[in-house]
Amino acid sequence: MNAPMVGQGQKQKVAVRDLKFFYGDTLALKSISLPLYDRKVTAFIGPSGCGKSTLLRVLNRMYDLYPKQRAEGEVLLDGENILAPGQDLNLLRAKVGMVFQKPTPFPMSIYDNIAFGIRLYEKVSRSELDGRVEAALTRAALWGEVKDKLNSSGLSLSGGQQQRLCIARTIAVEPEVMLLDEPASALDPISTSRIEELIDELKSDYTIAIVTHNMQQAARVSQYTAFMYLGELVEFDETSRIFTMPSDKRTQDYITGRFG
Amino acid sequence: MAISMSRYNARRRRNRFAVALCFAATGFGLIWLVLILATLLWNGLPGLTPALFTESTPPPGSEGGLLNAIAGSLILTVLGTVIGAPIGILAGTYMAEYGRFSRLSQVVRFVNDILLSAPSIVIGLFIYEILVAPLGHFSGWAGAVSLAVLVIPVVVRTTEDMLSMVPGQMREAAAALGLPRSIIVRSITYRAAKAGIVTGVLLAVARISGETAPLLFTALNNQFWSTNLNEPMASLPAVIFQFALSPYADWQQLAWTGALIITFAVLVLNIGARILVRSRNPQ
Amino acid sequence: MAQHIVTSFDEDLKELNSAIGAMGGYAEELFGNAITALLHSDPDMAQEVISKDRIVDAMQRDIEERAVLLIARRQPVAQDLRETMAAIRISGDLERVADLGKNIARRTIAMESTAFRQTLMVGVEHLAQLGLQQMKQVLDAYALRDTAAAAEVWKNDSEIDAVYTSLFRELLTYMMEDPRNISRCIHLLFCAKNIERIGDHATNIAETVHYMVTGQQIEEERASSTRV
Repeated sequence: MNAPMVGQGQKQKVAVRDLKFFYGDTLALKSISLPLYDRKVTAFIGPSGCGKSTLLRVLNRMYDLYPKQRAEGEVLLDGENILAPGQDLNLLRAKVGMVFQKPTPFPMSIYDNIAFGIRLYEKVSRSELDGRVEAALTRAALWGEVKDKLNSSGLSLSGGQQQRLCIARTIAVEPEVMLLDEPASALDPISTSRIEELIDELKSDYTIAIVTHNMQQAARVSQYTAFMYLGELVEFDETSRIFTMPSDKRTQDYITGRFG
Repeated sequence: MAISMSRYNARRRRNRFAVALCFAATGFGLIWLVLILATLLWNGLPGLTPALFTESTPPPGSEGGLLNAIAGSLILTVLGTVIGAPIGILAGTYMAEYGRFSRLSQVVRFVNDILLSAPSIVIGLFIYEILVAPLGHFSGWAGAVSLAVLVIPVVVRTTEDMLSMVPGQMREAAAALGLPRSIIVRSITYRAAKAGIVTGVLLAVARISGETAPLLFTALNNQFWSTNLNEPMASLPAVIFQFALSPYADWQQLAWTGALIITFAVLVLNIGARILVRSRNPQ
Repeated sequence: MAQHIVTSFDEDLKELNSAIGAMGGYAEELFGNAITALLHSDPDMAQEVISKDRIVDAMQRDIEERAVLLIARRQPVAQDLRETMAAIRISGDLERVADLGKNIARRTIAMESTAFRQTLMVGVEHLAQLGLQQMKQVLDAYALRDTAAAAEVWKNDSEIDAVYTSLFRELLTYMMEDPRNISRCIHLLFCAKNIERIGDHATNIAETVHYMVTGQQIEEERASSTRV
C-alpha cells in the first residue's frame, strides 16, 4: 500500500488507522488505513459490498444505530479518536454531516427542513434563523428555485432539488466533514451535474468523502480516490493517477470495466 | 410462428374460467353485505325519529329512545380509546423505534398478536374477575377498561407497522444531523407516520364501538340516563342485544334502529380512516 | 489483460489495434517502395507511392474517428485510455511517415535518372535500411506491447542521426567539388533529411508505446546528438 506516501505535507482532517469492522462475526473491513485531507474531496469506489459505504458509516458512527456492528482500530478526527467509548455521538454527527443516496427531506416545510437542525444546537433569533436558512439554501444552489415557496412541503420538490435540500440541511448545521453516500445515483444527469458542481464549490470549506458507483463521477469531483475491494483498501492515490495509471492490477481491471 | 394456437386457446379458456370464478366469489361476498345493509335500512329507518336522540330507553309498551345508550356508548368508547390508544402508541413506538432488535419486542409482538385475536368475551370475563367481582358491582369504568384492552393490541400493531414503514434512511438522515433519538421520534418519524397511526386509532374505535360481549360482563346495561362511571352504564350494543331478544315489538324496533346507527357510525369511521390513508399517499 | 465485461468494448479496442497495425504495415511498405524507387531511379514506382499516400491519409482519419467515438461512447480510463490516446498519436506519426515517403518519391521523379557516385548511394541506402529497420521494430514493439523493444528503437535513433550527419558532410564535399552536382545533391540531401525525420517519427512511436504500456514517459536523457 502506498497510502502514507500520497499527499504528504497535506493536513489530515481525518485519519483512519488500522480500522476493522464487524457485522456480527463477519469481518467487513480488513484493517483500513487512509487519510481524508483537509478541504479535499476523497472518492471511494469499488464493487458493491466492497465496504466503501460501511467505511463511510464508521466515520460518523452511523453503525451505532444498529446492534451487533462494531469497529476496531482508530478514526482520528483532528487527532481525537471518535471510536473512543466516551464519544458523544450527537456532537460527532453535528460535526460530520452525511447525505444519502435517496433524498430524504423531512415531512415538514422547506424552511423547517433547514431550520430544524439549527434550532436544536443554537439559540438564534427569528431573523438570524431566516438568514441562516437563506445562506444554506444559497450555498446549496437551491435558493433561487425555492425562495417563493419556503412554506411548502419539502416533498413537493423534484428529486434533484430534494437532494440539494438535504445538502443544504447538512450545511446549515455547519459541519466540518461531509460524507456523501452515492448522492447523485438516484438523479438525472442534469441534477447530477448540479450536485457535482456543488461538491466542487463546497470543498473550499469542507472535507468531503464521497462514495460513488459512477467512476467518471469520482474522476470528475475528487482529488483523491480510494479503491476498495472485498473489505480491503486496494489503492489510495491522487485521482489523476488512479484514472491514468493505477498501480494495482485490480484497480486497473475495475476502473476499465474488466470485473465488478 | 412458434406459437401453438391450440395451447394458447386452452390457456385462454382456463383464464376465462378462473376469472368467472373470482367474480362469482366476489359477488357472493358482496351480496351478504348488501343484504345486511338493506335489512338494516328497511327495518331501522322507520324508527329513526327525533325522540330516539332525546329520550332514554323505555319500559316495554311505552314511548322512548336510545339517548342513554348512545351517550353511554360514546362515553365508553371515548374513555376506552383515551386509556388504550396512548398505551398502544407508546408500546408500538418502543417496538418500532427503540427495541426493534430486542428480544422483548419479539415477545411483546407475539403476545400482542394473541391479544389481537383473543375473543372479546374472554377479555370481558377477565375484567369482570379483576374489576367487577372484587368491587361487587358492574360499572362504566370496568366497561371502559375492557374496551381499552381491546384497543391496545390494534393500536400497538398499526403504530408499529406504520413507524416501521417510515424509511430507515429518514431516521439515519435525522441522526446524521446529530439529532437525539427522542427528537427524531417526536419530530420526524411520528410526523411521517401520523396519518397511519391516526388510522389505526380510528379502526380501533370502530372495532370497540360495536363490541357487546365484554360490556355484558362489565358495564352491563342501564335502563335509565346515567353518566356515573361507578354505576352500570347503557350502551348501544348491549341495548340491541337485550331489546332484540325481547318479545316486545317496540323494543325490537329500537334494536333495529340502534343497529342501523352503529353500523353507519362504523362505516363512517372506516371511510374516514381510508380517506386519511389515501391523503397520505396521494399517488 | 483480462476481458472487459462489455465485450464490444474489447472489440472496439481490438479493431483500433489492428487498424494501427494495418496502417503501420502500409506506411512501412510505402516508405520501402519510395526508397527502392530512389535507389533504382524508378519514376513509375515513385508515382505509385505518391498516389497511395492518399490511402494512408484515409486510414489516419478512420483511426481518429474510431478513437473519438470510443472516447465518447466508452469513456476509457487507465490502460484503455492510454491505448486510445496512443492510437491517435501513432496514426499521426504514421501519416507523417507516409508523407515523407511521398516527398522522397517526388524528389526521385524530379531527379530523373542520374548516376551518383556509388559511395553516396551506399550511404543513403544504409540510412534507409536503418530507418526501415526502426519502423519495423517499433511496429512490432507496438503489436507486442514490448517496452524493451521500444526502448531499443528509441536509443538507436542516435545511430540514424550519426549516419545522416556523415552523409550530409559527404554530400557537402561532393557539391564543393563540382557545382554542377549541387541541384542533384540538394535533392538527395532532402531525401536523406526525410529519412532522418522518419527515424524521428519511429522514436515518437517508441515513446508512445512506452507510455501506453507503463503510463510513464521514457525518462533518461538520450545521448545528445548532432542535429542539422
